[in-house]
Amino acid sequence: MTETPAEHETEAPPASGGQGGTEEFVQHWRNAAYNCFSSGHKFCREVCPVMQVTRNESWTPTAFHANVVAMEKGELEIADIAEDYVNCTGCGACELRCPNTLFTGDFYRFRTRTVDLVKAVRALAVDNGVHQQGWQRWNLLTDERTHEPVLGDVPVSQEHVRDWSDGLNLPVGGETVLFVDCEAAFYRTSVPRAVAQLLQRADYEFGLMNEQWCCGGPAAEMGYTEQAKRFARHNLDDWRAAGVRRVLVLDPHDYITFTEDYPAYFGDEYDIEIVLVVELLAEMIRDGRLTPSVPVDRTVTYHDPCRLNKRKGIWKEPREVLSAIPGLVFHDVDRVTQWSYCSGGGGGLPVEKPELTARISESRVEKAAGLGVDTLVSACPWSERPLSEAGDARQIDVVDIHELLAESLGIEVGGSRGR
Amino acid sequence: MTVAPQLAEPVLDELRGVLGGEHVLTGKAARFNRARVPAPFPVHRWAERVPDLVVLPGSTEEVSEVVRIANAHRIPIVPRDGGTGLTDGAVPLRRGIVVDVKRMNGIVEIDEVNRTCTVGAGISMLKLNEVLAPYGLIYPDDPASYPCSLVGGRIGTSGWSLIGSRYGHSRDLVLSFDFVLPSGKVIHIGDGAGRKLSKSSSGYQLKHLFMGHQGTLGIATQATLKLFPKPEAELSPFFAFSDYDSAYRTVGELARAGVATFAGAVLFDEWKVDYLRRDDEAYIPQPADVRALVCAVAYGYEDEVTAGGRRFMRIAKENGARYLGDEVSEGDWAARHDRYATPLHGRTRAGQVVPMSWHCEDAAVNYSELPQVRLEWHEIVRRLRERFDMFDDWGMFTYTSANTGVDYLTEIDVGIWEQQLDDEAWAAWVQAKRDIAEVSLRYGGSISACHGSCREGEVDLVPQELGGGYDVMLAVKRAIDPNNIMNPGKYGLDRAYDTDDDTDGGTGP
Ligand SMILES: Cc1cc2nc3c(=O)[nH]c(=O)nc-3n(C[C@H](O)[C@H](O)[C@H](O)COP(=O)(O)OP(=O)(O)OC[C@H]3O[C@@H](n4cnc5c(N)ncnc54)[C@H](O)[C@@H]3O)c2cc1C
Ligand code: SF4
Ligand code: SF4
Repeated sequence: MTETPAEHETEAPPASGGQGGTEEFVQHWRNAAYNCFSSGHKFCREVCPVMQVTRNESWTPTAFHANVVAMEKGELEIADIAEDYVNCTGCGACELRCPNTLFTGDFYRFRTRTVDLVKAVRALAVDNGVHQQGWQRWNLLTDERTHEPVLGDVPVSQEHVRDWSDGLNLPVGGETVLFVDCEAAFYRTSVPRAVAQLLQRADYEFGLMNEQWCCGGPAAEMGYTEQAKRFARHNLDDWRAAGVRRVLVLDPHDYITFTEDYPAYFGDEYDIEIVLVVELLAEMIRDGRLTPSVPVDRTVTYHDPCRLNKRKGIWKEPREVLSAIPGLVFHDVDRVTQWSYCSGGGGGLPVEKPELTARISESRVEKAAGLGVDTLVSACPWSERPLSEAGDARQIDVVDIHELLAESLGIEVGGSRGR
Repeated sequence: MTVAPQLAEPVLDELRGVLGGEHVLTGKAARFNRARVPAPFPVHRWAERVPDLVVLPGSTEEVSEVVRIANAHRIPIVPRDGGTGLTDGAVPLRRGIVVDVKRMNGIVEIDEVNRTCTVGAGISMLKLNEVLAPYGLIYPDDPASYPCSLVGGRIGTSGWSLIGSRYGHSRDLVLSFDFVLPSGKVIHIGDGAGRKLSKSSSGYQLKHLFMGHQGTLGIATQATLKLFPKPEAELSPFFAFSDYDSAYRTVGELARAGVATFAGAVLFDEWKVDYLRRDDEAYIPQPADVRALVCAVAYGYEDEVTAGGRRFMRIAKENGARYLGDEVSEGDWAARHDRYATPLHGRTRAGQVVPMSWHCEDAAVNYSELPQVRLEWHEIVRRLRERFDMFDDWGMFTYTSANTGVDYLTEIDVGIWEQQLDDEAWAAWVQAKRDIAEVSLRYGGSISACHGSCREGEVDLVPQELGGGYDVMLAVKRAIDPNNIMNPGKYGLDRAYDTDDDTDGGTGP
């Protein structure tokens, strides 16, 4: 049959925010929202980590889309819905499970994009002066310090952003720099230390950033778009001034920000290569540049960080790394099953609803416990704090994949694991 | 007839006292979202069906308290579980309180010896089977809504399972349940006194009465289910045919063959094949001469399934089938839950892609009558589409319901451009539904094999289908729910309360 293009086909909407008024917002998102509304079957529901622990239908992907339709009909306003949109970790499981993504979305160039919608609604709320208290405060503090107000007694400021690397003799600048997210730079410093030493071991040349600010991703996720862009601008300018061509990232959240948000902000001007460290390490192991030989006597399973497995399709490389470590007993779960697993640590959820993050982490650790493991390995610094807390209650140790690899190379990592 | 009173502060306070404030939702968005189900409805009339209040109870006791309070204040109550029902059962027609039972999703017991489990009504079959897998067990209720419908809703609708020809449907798989009557009283429903009996002759058989009533008689809170060994092997051969008649003949022969591992067969007619072909990427391309498809499904031990499979292959070949190969078969069967509501397959007459909502009519029809019902249904939709460009014929599926092949669930899927629905088109659609139901009855069928028949249009013919049985239904409703608080407005049951109408259980005029 003859098929004319979908009448609702639109340019990809901006990654977040800045849509101005509600009217404009609704015009922009109505077709995408209606596409879900007219499906309405909620295949996505049981994979949503928030839904799994709350069972509150107001906080499901379908509801997030249906609200937009209701706004178009004049039934709801941004103030009626803003608070509901706190309840999303941005994990992307719903998108993967959605038939409009699985089967038909690409064909019609119309995937279901719940994560972007949630970000956009949050931005609309902020634009309209509807704030969530915790997020507002968090972004204010981030703005003051140019880094996120990571919890604990850690001094967070520009002077301290490179403290994690004490004694490692890392240069500043160069063609390749390592970008370290705020949680890892100030709180879980063992992670970047492990990464840096692994790269040094492989003779991989890299430096640290001159003046590193928060990537701006969290601000964008919480709806503070202007701030997010300002931070991004700073970082890009800093890279350009120093002649940086390549940025290494160890944090999946940064990886999303640099590969999705920055290109959306800067277009062609943005010509920086972004390299995910786990992928680089897997390559180094494959090429024989790193050969783990110290046995690590643990029974582990792997926690696929949402932003790698679900949102970027990166799941093989971390498994390659783990299978190279001698001594490890690895109980894997089907990565598709893991679509419904999340630590609850993303999307700003722990800032507004720490108790919800904790429940999601508990449920994640419970699934690990079911496999009879003593260790849960993650590759995302932001997941490790809530997972560790949940792990403590069940005697399951939460370890970062980079640290584990360093251990099997006989590297004394040092730094803090956040305790 | 009950009219929802304003839900005054004292009532809210009572409910908060029972449930905690967190689980009493008064916000506008929460209420709008509890008015939504997948079945199309004119969006401009969304606000007509929004409840006054939503509660999220966590236990049978809480449900019982909520119902007791509502009954005392004569406030309508609508049970809601997955919200995937297709006959508007979970949509509040008189506002009032939506009792959303999704939080009650615990697993209370897994009894490996007697092969049962006891679960909260808010659990999904998908999650339950994840937990059962390490025990080597499975709960085989497998509707196309397997990832999204929940056990309480399966009881509320008395649903139908894709593999029911082997394992039975919800009514066979649910052994018993705790049930909150409209008074708030909690009773146990099932065969016999225990929770785990599959057959008793003691007293009236109440289980069927309290399943499929669409929440008009009360609320199921906790159910005990029958479990089976997780099948070792699964076979789902897809066969292509160049005409409907051979495909139809094949399905009949497969169902009558008496193969013990036979779990079901599905027949796609040419409209359905066309509909699926609209999406090249998702659907494995097939030659243009393929006009109908049959998928047979077998579950069991490897050796049984292999043997049964050989017989399926032979039957299909003898009827002119082309086997589509293991890859297509496994892939398409694996996608069995996701093919239904693909809004972007919607087309206007000019071929324009528009997102359409999915409407499904699902009659129970005897095998012998299927071909004629099919033609008449397509004709009804064709006439409708001629007048209104917001409807599209998405074809028909026919599924076996029983292991002997006596009757079939036959459905016609209609795409409806919901956002363009105006009152006139809606009225024409309601008439078309009535016509579709009329055809089912004329051929000795039932209006619905799984979803229930309480939407506008079809519901008008329910008294005709049930005859004197409908009077019994009215009498039961009045006896159990004297104040008409349970899901009022559904199934025309309001007439149980018309004082002039002396419905008295069938002994009247
Ligand atoms: C894509 C798709 C495919 C489908 N395929 C099938 C299929 O193959 N087979 C099939 O049978 N159905 C199918 N359906 C329809 C639907 O999934 C079923 O009707 C299902 O049983 C509804 O369950 P639910 O949990 O969503 O219930 P809901 O929609 O929440 O409720 C359904 C009815 O039950 C009542 N109810 C809910 N909870 C309770 C309770 N605890 N106690 C008493 N009454 C209650 C409600 O008031 C309502 O009347 C499909 C639906 C979709 C969207
Ligand atoms: S997000 Fe996708 S799976 Fe979920 S209800 Fe919408 S269309 Fe269905
Ligand atoms: S992105 Fe994750 S948390 Fe957010 S709605 Fe989807 S599944 Fe839920």
